[in-house]
Amino acid sequence: MTSADVQKRTPLTALAERARGFHLGTFWDRWGITAVLAILVIAAIVIQPGVDRGAFLNILNITSILKEASYLGIVACAMTFAVINGTFDLSVGGQLALTSIVSLLAFGIGGSGLAIAAAIFTGIACGLVNSLLVTAMRVPPFVATLGMLFVFRGIGTLLTADGPAKLPYADFGSVFGQIGKISFGGIPLVFVIMVAFFLVGFVILRRTGLGRQVIAFGSSPAAAKFSGISAVKIRFFVFVFLGLSVGIAALTYVTRIGTADGAAQDGFELRVITAAVLGGASLQGGKGSLVGTFSAVMLVTVLNDLFRDLQVDSAWQRIILGCVLVVALAIDGLRTKFPGFSVFRRVTALRDQRVARAG
Amino acid sequence: MKHTKKWLVAAAIATSAAVALTGCTGSTTDGGGSSSDDITVGFSVYDMQYEFFQAMAAGTKEAVEANGWTYKEHDEKSDENEMVTGAIALLDSGIDVLIISPFKPDALGSIVDHAKELGVPVIVDDIGGGGTDYDAIVVSDNKDGGVQAAGYIDETVQALGLTSKKVVSITCQPDAVYAAQRNIGYEDEITSLGYEVATSLSGDSDATKAYTIMKDALAKDPDVSAVFACNDDMAVAASNAIADAGKVPGKDIVVVGYNGDPSALEAIQAGTVNATVAQDPNGMGKLTVELAKTLLDGGEITFGNDENREVYNPVTLVTSDNVADFVS
Repeated sequence: MTSADVQKRTPLTALAERARGFHLGTFWDRWGITAVLAILVIAAIVIQPGVDRGAFLNILNITSILKEASYLGIVACAMTFAVINGTFDLSVGGQLALTSIVSLLAFGIGGSGLAIAAAIFTGIACGLVNSLLVTAMRVPPFVATLGMLFVFRGIGTLLTADGPAKLPYADFGSVFGQIGKISFGGIPLVFVIMVAFFLVGFVILRRTGLGRQVIAFGSSPAAAKFSGISAVKIRFFVFVFLGLSVGIAALTYVTRIGTADGAAQDGFELRVITAAVLGGASLQGGKGSLVGTFSAVMLVTVLNDLFRDLQVDSAWQRIILGCVLVVALAIDGLRTKFPGFSVFRRVTALRDQRVARAG
Repeated sequence: MKHTKKWLVAAAIATSAAVALTGCTGSTTDGGGSSSDDITVGFSVYDMQYEFFQAMAAGTKEAVEANGWTYKEHDEKSDENEMVTGAIALLDSGIDVLIISPFKPDALGSIVDHAKELGVPVIVDDIGGGGTDYDAIVVSDNKDGGVQAAGYIDETVQALGLTSKKVVSITCQPDAVYAAQRNIGYEDEITSLGYEVATSLSGDSDATKAYTIMKDALAKDPDVSAVFACNDDMAVAASNAIADAGKVPGKDIVVVGYNGDPSALEAIQAGTVNATVAQDPNGMGKLTVELAKTLLDGGEITFGNDENREVYNPVTLVTSDNVADFVS
């Protein structure tokens, strides 16, 4: 048997041959949500044409959309890691509220530098608490983070018992206040931060051993354990990373809103998980896409902007957003459910099925 | 059905839903970027599920359209993030003046900042100004309302022959600085009339909390003669607490609310609440548009309070005598 013969028969070469053709299933896997986003943006441009005030492509509108997407995007990036890992963090709303409050209070004491440091530090601290509960105390993540959600919000409410924490109007020109404001030719600084965070996340997830371990653990905890991957180390990283993301997101959020109290951003955690899942992360773990999450966050933000401009009733807004999520998941579910032999099914079925048969 | 077709159909539904959105526009038109004489007024409101703000929006819209201008509305849905994003979106869409009834006055900073950059005047309607550079704020004369309530309580307590000089005061959420004036006016006036404020606690503008506060206040001082609540939801809740404690609200204890909500007007007719102080949200809306016109014509506004640029809208005490006028 020559090496040439062996080569001809491996699934990998068969895969490579088929890869040259366009495969609808894998396209949807990687670029599905991005494609929907593109369609939505085109629809938005058609509905509100031009570049004047009131048009979709007007620079003020674009800047506003990018600013609005940032804090959701940063946390959704870290949440994607968690969902791929087979867990999730329900306390991010409370973490955001608490971190925003602490950051504003710190600004009152020590100015911009202290405020920025306080935000990051508080975020990491919250993440540490979560990770210790989950790893050292073996509390199931769902329960641990749900409990901490109330604790964080409670602490936030205590800190603002005399009234909400606030960035005084006169201080909007400070370095801290400017974070939420400055933009470079229409691209806001907070959006640049979000993109940078996604790039870092991408590198960690797809190019480092740590990222591969996160995916492996989410895909099959038992197999990962037997391969020597430390569950403690992975879970620890995931929750602290989430805490850090909330710290950075709080900076982009609170410098735009200027105030925070214990009840700020109610329901934030669900929106973040929705974005991650819409972007292709599977709640069962092992599967997820940062490109997808990024597109999902932009999709939801653009959709909200359109709703606002078209004065769509808030009841309809909720219905449509819910439908978008259900449709996206239904497509995903259908794909994994029906491997088959017909031409159409073969085209759209998971690539692995074909590889298995070809091998 | 082959599952490819299923998701093709799903994609078709999603696209047609997007197209259908264009048919979902409300009765308002898109703000024009044109430089014509057509003035567009943007109104960002606290939360359209409350009658108070529905009346405010109706008054604002009426006055705007009476001037031949265009009206554009935004609902903050009791969310500060929605407030900031939506108000900035209104500004970006090319409105000529912004009228805003802020959910969280403290979040007005970036909105007013952006408005100043675009050269758009900002008029705040009720709630608070957050210490920002708004051009004017319209508030009800809340302090006077509290004073009127105190005077009425004194009269009614004497008329009913109640002997206790102890009263209860339930305040609104701490950051509603103008609503706070109601209880300040009330407590000042009632103490000068010889009464003692036995309990003064914050119900956070919430009925459930007010119920608990009244219940505890009665447990502490069963012989209280009157209660004044900062809004009608809390007054009705206090009335229920009194009834549940075995007393007759309206007869054993005088109950006065604030705002003139339908729930209170009903209760006044039934006798379980003695009075309320009616604000005129519809009138406040109209007043903001008047002020907008003055500003756009280049005129100057006369303030009730120059330091805070406040303009007052009068309030009316509503009792069983005149409640029929307000129920419509």
